[in-house]
Amino acid sequence: MIPLSGPSAADAREFRNGMLMAADEINQRSGILGRKIELFFEDTGSQSAPEVVRAARHLIGHHNVHAIINGYNIGSQNSEYEVIADAGIIYIHHNTLLQHHDTVMSDPDRYFGCFMGDPAEYWYGQGFIKFLSWLRETGQWEPRNSRIAIISGNKPYSVVIANAMASATGQFGWDLVKRPIVVKSSTENWDEILDDIRAHDPAVLATTQFYSGDLARFHLKFMENPLPCLLYLQYGAMHRTFSEIVGDKGKGAIVGTVIGLPRDEIGKNFARMYTERFGANSTPEVGCQPYTSLHHYAIAAAIAGRTGGPGEAQVNRQVAQCLLNYTYRSVAGTIRYHPKWQSVVPYPDAVRDPSLGLPHLFYQIQGPDQERALIAPEPYADSQFELPPWLSDASVG
Amino acid sequence: MEPASALAKGVEALDFGVAVWSNTGALQFCNRAFSRRFGKASPESLAGFSREEFLGEILRCSDLIVTTPAQTWIEQQIANFENNERDRLLFSDGSIHQLRHTPMPGGGTITVLSDFTEIIRSERSLEKERDKSAESERVKSRFLRAANHDLRQPLASLKILIYNCIEAQSDEEREQLLHNMDVSVSIMEDLLGALLNIGQLDAGRVEPKISTFQVSMILERMQIQFEHLATEKGLDFRVMPSNVALSSDRALLERIVSNFVANAVRYTDTGRVLVGCRRKGRNLRIQVTDTGPGIPETHYEDIFKEFFRISTKHSYRKHSLGLGLNIAKRMADVLDHRISVTSTPGKGSTFSIDVPIGSVWHSDMGEPDINERVGGEFSGLTALVIEDDDILRDALVSLLERWGMTVIVLDRYDNLQPSIADLENEPDLIITDYRLQGAVQGTDLVIEINDTLEKPCPAIVVTADTNPDLIKSIRQQGFPVLIKPVSPPSLRVTMHNLLYEPELVPEISGRTDDG
Repeated sequence: MIPLSGPSAADAREFRNGMLMAADEINQRSGILGRKIELFFEDTGSQSAPEVVRAARHLIGHHNVHAIINGYNIGSQNSEYEVIADAGIIYIHHNTLLQHHDTVMSDPDRYFGCFMGDPAEYWYGQGFIKFLSWLRETGQWEPRNSRIAIISGNKPYSVVIANAMASATGQFGWDLVKRPIVVKSSTENWDEILDDIRAHDPAVLATTQFYSGDLARFHLKFMENPLPCLLYLQYGAMHRTFSEIVGDKGKGAIVGTVIGLPRDEIGKNFARMYTERFGANSTPEVGCQPYTSLHHYAIAAAIAGRTGGPGEAQVNRQVAQCLLNYTYRSVAGTIRYHPKWQSVVPYPDAVRDPSLGLPHLFYQIQGPDQERALIAPEPYADSQFELPPWLSDASVG
Repeated sequence: MEPASALAKGVEALDFGVAVWSNTGALQFCNRAFSRRFGKASPESLAGFSREEFLGEILRCSDLIVTTPAQTWIEQQIANFENNERDRLLFSDGSIHQLRHTPMPGGGTITVLSDFTEIIRSERSLEKERDKSAESERVKSRFLRAANHDLRQPLASLKILIYNCIEAQSDEEREQLLHNMDVSVSIMEDLLGALLNIGQLDAGRVEPKISTFQVSMILERMQIQFEHLATEKGLDFRVMPSNVALSSDRALLERIVSNFVANAVRYTDTGRVLVGCRRKGRNLRIQVTDTGPGIPETHYEDIFKEFFRISTKHSYRKHSLGLGLNIAKRMADVLDHRISVTSTPGKGSTFSIDVPIGSVWHSDMGEPDINERVGGEFSGLTALVIEDDDILRDALVSLLERWGMTVIVLDRYDNLQPSIADLENEPDLIITDYRLQGAVQGTDLVIEINDTLEKPCPAIVVTADTNPDLIKSIRQQGFPVLIKPVSPPSLRVTMHNLLYEPELVPEISGRTDDG
């Protein structure tokens, strides 16, 4: 269930690539206990509840699938969980939504098969405030003051991140200049919003908007007259589209992801094989998500002894139990499901041990043709934080 | 069977070791249990060994644990043989065996090797229990002595004050006496609290829960707790901000620092009390400096002892229990944090504690479960629910609360304006049933409520009536409609759109006339 024709079509192509690559690798080694994996793709368009529910029904009713493994569909508000729970199959998605915790915990028996293969977006907020505090406490950056301004997108994902950031500020000695400013996608009045923020003179400005295009437009506006503050952009700024629009002006902004590719031997090797197969313009950081989950599913099913189709909940309960019990060191880092949330536990946001959580990676954007600098957390970082150009300029800083 | 042969077979079947030595000290016979314990499968392989040879062999070949040098151990064992002394041998599998030598009539020695592991474990556990019980008795009696020691004084004062209060001639006098009674009771409260702490420390029940947290959390609480008291005394009270992550037990550390600050405020009559931090290597030193009477250097150690008071000349010291610093020191010991004091009599003192610096990444956010209640998009917002059906209303309230909302229920529809004006929070969202008791319509209530509120509140109408004309008319009034039973996903979508993306709500944006 991937949004091949909507605003997230670029990501959807990568999700498809990741699935194709994982299925081929597993099938070359004789599949799951001798049975080959067969893939079916359903387009979820703009990711609305009706589109995602229709896709789930079609996959279950028409193709009789044993598992649904996705990238993300963030507009369905978990409506598809009902169809999947009724069928009793396994569902692993990367929606990065806190709603998943709530739905699973509301009836663990019913939603036994629903897993989120990455941490909830909530961790972006909390992790970012810890990241800022880490920069401050290790002396890598001396903030001019303790004020933080937050601009939130209007999707649940953005609102949750903004709220999580806002609620963590006080505990780490930061002051929120005002409640997060919620803006519409494609807003036009950036001048007004930035002037309002400028009046509060924050040391940090974070925006939790999601789409690359929105972030790029905001960033270009910001750079017309930069505020003397650190700038954080949400996940969308990881995309190639963002770099293509902002060019050199992106340098120095901070961006983070709770699921990405660490630059270790495993991550680099995957990225090389992925781009060899899907081209230099493909994005292994996105394709790795379903790639990782399909591999984990195959291992869990093999240990459980078989896979179960619709109506075979008892078999799938065994598979689900194996997904929970067997931690998997994937190309993206450690996939370890929380036993109650059934979502992946993030490092260092929720665990101290990097071998027990998926790394929440923080980057600093460089030039459009340069690799982003991976600046946190240890032991994954390979670069040092540097003051953004608009802050290192003496006339501004 | 011959008696000798029967005896040999019987000895072989024993589950403890037996060995027989000649009067010249050579091993004549041993059973299998004996040889096996020393790593030899067959008893014959030890036959003919002298005592020295036997001891050397078992040191080399068995899993015996010997902590003294080999030669010393062998000499000790030979002496045991000769003096018929018992000894215990420890093996690497954790078992303990006793060697017992007994002279035989007509010369020679018989050695019995028995497994004492269980007996010794039971002895040790009995010893532990006995020590624990003795310690508990000691704690109890010390607790009672201490209580007796310090509770008598405020109790005696209280008795006199109560008597005087009964006899009081004026309201003013009575008020003063009641105030003094209040002080006496709070002293007793403090004392009981402190004794309880001591009791727990004595009993070893204080187990630190180490987590990572920001020092600012402790500093902020000191500010709130003591600012008023210090200002009332005319002191300049300052808490210097600091942003460092600490690795410690937050509650215990807070009690220690709070004890330092309480003392500083209590004993300082003029001047200031300053709470601040500075880095000392891998630690952060939290220090409390005052301009109080100071402490002579000779008392630096004594002040941390139980019931120690420098003098009672100072009026505040009369009320001091002499327990606070002792508790602070003992808690610091539990945490393995160093406490120190420097002071100049007549000028003031500085009490400090060194706390390990932690990694800010590991900071504990104090949330056992990450769910929508703590961080969802509706968390912190207020919903006003109007629904007559108890079961439906309870289910809706519990769902909204699970999503982190504060829910207000409106169950009376007459005299609406005062009820709305009395609400603690103005609602961010109204969810109303359409047909309410007494032929009241939910939409009318929403309009009336919005007339009362400062800013109009978006509303969702729920109804079991699927009549298309009715639904159309409600929507035309600008309200999205959900049909009962309402599914959580559809409620969530409608709530999100109303609150964050109203342009997606056709009833508001006017993009539809009938949906």
